[in-house]
Amino acid sequence: MINRSDAAGLRRRQLLQLGAGAAGGLMLPGLGTALAAEAPLGTWPAGTTGDSVFVGVTSPLTGAYSADGKDHVLGYELAFAEINEGGANAQAWGLKGKGVLGKMIRHGIADSELKANVAVQAQTQFIQRDKAIMITGCVSSATAVALEELAQRDHVLNMVGASGANATTGHDCQRYGFRSQPSAYMACKALAPVVAQHYGRGKKVAYLVPDYNYGHSVFNAFSEFTKPYGWTTAAQVVIPLSASDYSSALLNIANSGADVFVNIEFAAQAVNSTKQAAQFGIFKKMQMIVPNISSFQAQETGAQLMQGVFGTMDWYWTLEDRFPLSKNFVTAFRARNHYIPNWGAHIGYLQTYLWALAVERAGTFYPPAVIKTLEASKANPFNSTLGKVWYRAEDHQLVRPVPVVVAKAPKAMKSKDDYFDIVDMVPGEQAISPPALLGCKLGPYV
Amino acid sequence: MRARFWPEAAMVAVLLLAPLVLPRLGFSYDLLQRILDWGLIGLGFDLLFGATGLLSFGQAAFFGTGGFVAAYLLLHHVLSSVWLALALGTLAAGLFGLAVGWLAVRRIGIYFAMITLAFGQMAYFLENSPLAAYTGGENGLPGVPVPMLGSYKIAAGMPMYWALAVIFLAGFVLARRILHSPFGAVLRAIKGNTARTGMTGHSVPAYKLAVFVIAALYAGLAGGLLGVFQSYMPPEAFSLDTSGQLVVQTVIGGVGTLVGPLLGATIWLWLRDNLQQVPHIGALWKLILGLIFVALVVMLKRGIAGEIRWAFSRRRLASAEAGVPEEAGEAAVMPPEAAALPMQAPLVVARADAPALRAIGLSKFYGGLHAVEGVSFDVRTGSIHAVIGPNGAGKSTLFKMLTDEVSPTSGDVLLFGQRVTGLGPTHTAQLGIGKSNQLNQLFLDLTVTENLRIAALARARGTFRADLWRAADSIAPVERQVAAAMDTVGLTHRADVPVHVLPYGEKRRLEIGIALAIGPNVLLLDEPLAGMSPAERVATRALVREIGRTRTLVVVEHDMDAIFELAERITVLYEGRLLADGTPEEIQRNQAVQDAYLGGLHEHEPA
Amino acid sequence: MPSAPLLLSQAFNGLALGTLLALVASGLTIILGTLGVLNFAHGALFMLGAYAMYVVTAQTGSYFLGILVGAVFMLVVGVVLERGLVRLFYGRPHEDQILVTFGAGIVIVEAVRAIFGANTQSVPTPSWGQGIVQLGFLFYPTYRLELIGIVAALLFALYLILYRTSIGLVVRAGIEDARMVGILGINVRRAFLLVFAIGVVAAGVSGMLYAPIVSVEPDMGSSFLVEAFVVIVIGGLGSYPGAVLGGLIAGEIISITSAFNAAYSEVMLYAVMALLLVLRPQGLFGSEGRV
Repeated sequence: MINRSDAAGLRRRQLLQLGAGAAGGLMLPGLGTALAAEAPLGTWPAGTTGDSVFVGVTSPLTGAYSADGKDHVLGYELAFAEINEGGANAQAWGLKGKGVLGKMIRHGIADSELKANVAVQAQTQFIQRDKAIMITGCVSSATAVALEELAQRDHVLNMVGASGANATTGHDCQRYGFRSQPSAYMACKALAPVVAQHYGRGKKVAYLVPDYNYGHSVFNAFSEFTKPYGWTTAAQVVIPLSASDYSSALLNIANSGADVFVNIEFAAQAVNSTKQAAQFGIFKKMQMIVPNISSFQAQETGAQLMQGVFGTMDWYWTLEDRFPLSKNFVTAFRARNHYIPNWGAHIGYLQTYLWALAVERAGTFYPPAVIKTLEASKANPFNSTLGKVWYRAEDHQLVRPVPVVVAKAPKAMKSKDDYFDIVDMVPGEQAISPPALLGCKLGPYV
Repeated sequence: MRARFWPEAAMVAVLLLAPLVLPRLGFSYDLLQRILDWGLIGLGFDLLFGATGLLSFGQAAFFGTGGFVAAYLLLHHVLSSVWLALALGTLAAGLFGLAVGWLAVRRIGIYFAMITLAFGQMAYFLENSPLAAYTGGENGLPGVPVPMLGSYKIAAGMPMYWALAVIFLAGFVLARRILHSPFGAVLRAIKGNTARTGMTGHSVPAYKLAVFVIAALYAGLAGGLLGVFQSYMPPEAFSLDTSGQLVVQTVIGGVGTLVGPLLGATIWLWLRDNLQQVPHIGALWKLILGLIFVALVVMLKRGIAGEIRWAFSRRRLASAEAGVPEEAGEAAVMPPEAAALPMQAPLVVARADAPALRAIGLSKFYGGLHAVEGVSFDVRTGSIHAVIGPNGAGKSTLFKMLTDEVSPTSGDVLLFGQRVTGLGPTHTAQLGIGKSNQLNQLFLDLTVTENLRIAALARARGTFRADLWRAADSIAPVERQVAAAMDTVGLTHRADVPVHVLPYGEKRRLEIGIALAIGPNVLLLDEPLAGMSPAERVATRALVREIGRTRTLVVVEHDMDAIFELAERITVLYEGRLLADGTPEEIQRNQAVQDAYLGGLHEHEPA
Repeated sequence: MPSAPLLLSQAFNGLALGTLLALVASGLTIILGTLGVLNFAHGALFMLGAYAMYVVTAQTGSYFLGILVGAVFMLVVGVVLERGLVRLFYGRPHEDQILVTFGAGIVIVEAVRAIFGANTQSVPTPSWGQGIVQLGFLFYPTYRLELIGIVAALLFALYLILYRTSIGLVVRAGIEDARMVGILGINVRRAFLLVFAIGVVAAGVSGMLYAPIVSVEPDMGSSFLVEAFVVIVIGGLGSYPGAVLGGLIAGEIISITSAFNAAYSEVMLYAVMALLLVLRPQGLFGSEGRV
């Protein structure tokens, strides 16, 4: 046992030991108690002294992206319920007993209204009032960046996402933030060879780019990775936020002489722009590619319009055929919510489990210990809904396969929910950026 | 004086007790900071909207500007001092406010709201696209550092709460000083009656612009603090929702109370946060909050703080009225001996050797309608001069040209030999022409004393002065002027009564009193007896005669008995032209006047 | 510099966009002009119209039945809203009126989200509106092209109501001087109810006509609301011809700017509005001081 008064002086050495221990997977439950002697950090240990811990979730429940936001939240709720119950599903992930380290997960859900400021407000309230030990959830890159900043400042772990922008694990990365969704870079790097092979070399591309960080991320990545195949930019139409009538933008695209139409809009706006593109006859001249296909895009747009569209996704439910944990997820989610989960729900589900696993491996909720465990996961990857995955220590991006999909023709669908064929599962190591490329400099542990 | 500082003392108590009491209700320090931040921007907004009556839908533009300038300076290491960055951000917001205000303050009503909304939206889209390289676009600017106090770091949580509490308190004290300063008195006058404020000699656009900039400075500081206390400057600071939420919170809390925005923010943020935590409510929170909001707007006409204040003031008013004896006929309004006012002289000095007022060929055409055509006459210094004529003769238009409320199509007005045409009513008032109007133009929500003070302040302070710190009633000459004018029009027993409860006759006398309190050399009275009872007429005639002893009077009146009793010289207008000009005897003898006017008067004129 | 055909295409599209904006704005401006109420729920009512269209077309498949039933539904909504809420606010300050309609807008949007969910819904393009028309220099969706005619006809019908009927006389007189109308003994209350209902139906019908073009979702009205504000400010608050001309101008600004850089289309719209407010504050057809 470590003497409390010596704790500060011992911290550095102890952390080094801890890192080594986590990497080796040798943590013993007893050591967690020993670590209670650490100086308080963030909501630790105040948030872990009872028989439960609190997790703060923010997601857009009203306003734009609220359909995705609701799906996202249901994924979290399923994971919390499973982990608290400690049944077969939680055991299949490798968790032991009920809850995490024997503590039940309580959670709060707040509506972010898709505003970063509101999300920060709600999560700060969770941290200060409810002593949240982990914060998570968002459906926008701006929110992701803001919450990572908050997590770093308040020393509370943040399982970031959904967020696709490069900055999340690039320029705006943080020591306390971990992201599971593929970055725009990964998505486009995985997608480019597939579409180049399908459509051939030397295509002219028209882009519909929403004027925010994520939109520009995707444009830059896609144009860069298709360049080796001789693809060129015929038009880059940047449109303001909250556009609802795309006619003028689509006229530019229709007049661009492009062969391929890359639609970077997201969620309801993706559906809206796709429908209007069809009305303008764009699909008679061009093939549409959607680098990151939104959860409800196929269902809301309809298979008729979507057929033949290539893109990537964080996850698709037919992966249940490949990964038993995905099968468990789909089955449990359907039983609970009466529909098939989308990737928004999957991000909530996956991230909750990865955090719980890391905490149990570390044997403590002490954030630096959990961070070190996650950073050391390459040596001991987590078995997940996507097979073996691990976080890269340099930028906290999850190294995971990227599903490249193509939308099926209506008559090829096996059920009403069977919109996509999974063309390829591009390995994470192959898609991920070189560590320093996106400018990530992680902050301090304490 | 002790009573005057109780709001400040109460605010100190609230700020001290809040972190002890409110956490039990689920408020974190962060939420308290946010409430204070909304309260801070609300102080400026309430000066603009509550005090001055200008509804802005664009405060987000200044909130965002202050925040992003401060955050940019800190994150790009232009500055290392957070305090300095906050100051510069605030200044930038003020400058932006000056530019927007310059364009906006001459517009009124919904047009003002819309122009501010337009600039707010423009700022939002500018932040998001063209300026994204500086503002981070839709990501905003994360990582804003916290301020230092010497070597002590003001960290998030309790230390930051105290920092914000101190800043808010300073802002609150300042806002209260502003509200109770001469400057603030003029702001309230603008809300009460914009036209009359200008006519008493205050430059309304200058005051509106000044308060607009003050509101922008408050918003800029609050914006800067938002970035600092949450280490992140969000792009939504610029959004229409921010401006809208400010209006919502202010109206719920109570417009014109200064604490309204703070109270509104407390309720709004608490409801928002707690409704969501009710199990299974999910996205329904917003529906419920919307319903609560509609119910509040329907039920509370003045907002929460406003309703409380109203309940108190009603009780006070009732007791004040009970204590005042009802007007006792003529005795109460008999003018005192000396109506000479102690105030400094107007800008144009009265001279005995020149006519006080000289109209030279005044004409006013509205399209084809010739309201006044080629009217010339002189008003001798120290005389009572009457202008008469049947309805539609152009008397009111002529009067409005004398104060330059209406610009003449041609012709000039000279005041003691100095040309006043084209200067506008504000400057003619400053030069020394006062006017009471045919229809009362009073500040109905202010007391009798405050009404007269507005006028006296114009003489003492000129068209504009930003004296934000001293008390409105602290200028001794002004108070003497107010007392003298009040005494002259016989309203001293009504000094602290809000004007809207006065009977008509007293309102009418106050109308004259305001014109008198600007300390004019030449006083224009437009139908001073209109609508009065016979007893009131007698008293007011005595009043006019008394005033005429010390200054030049020009009177338009239908009451011929009064005119022929009072006037030393009479100008007769008929169909816009000068019919006759002379002594009462000359006019009485004038055949043209008799034919065209006096003959018909007794048949047609009700007066 | 964009090519001449593209500029021509965008100018034409601006016309199409403009007529729709004019229809959306017309309801807003009639209510503002007559009742003096700036209706912040207008965007929500636009959305409600689109949902009415969605429900009826999903049940019956008939476009015209959708418009018909939807219009009747919106009429009822308008009457209920005026009788139950807006009427209480005629004597109260502008900001109270703005706030109560703002609140009503939130309630309508969130009630729809609670009933229909947040997912986008589709309204099919009618059979006679399918496909694309070749117009020489551009291809244009048939339905949008037809919509120009339909909207023009509706705007004309509204013109007839406002300028050729006795109710229209009251409305226009009310715009000039509401007190005078009251003094003349005309039943202002009933006229106000009618005007409010017409404004609500205009908002709803705009949403119905737009429904096949855009995705129907609870938040679809907000951007239209703000654009409609811009339109009536440009045209002059409360002026019906102003709303029509303002709509066309706004449509052209958005479209022509898009030919150069679509990202600046919104900035440009507000810049023009601000400039106009400075140069001609009462708008093209308005008279300042009345509202």
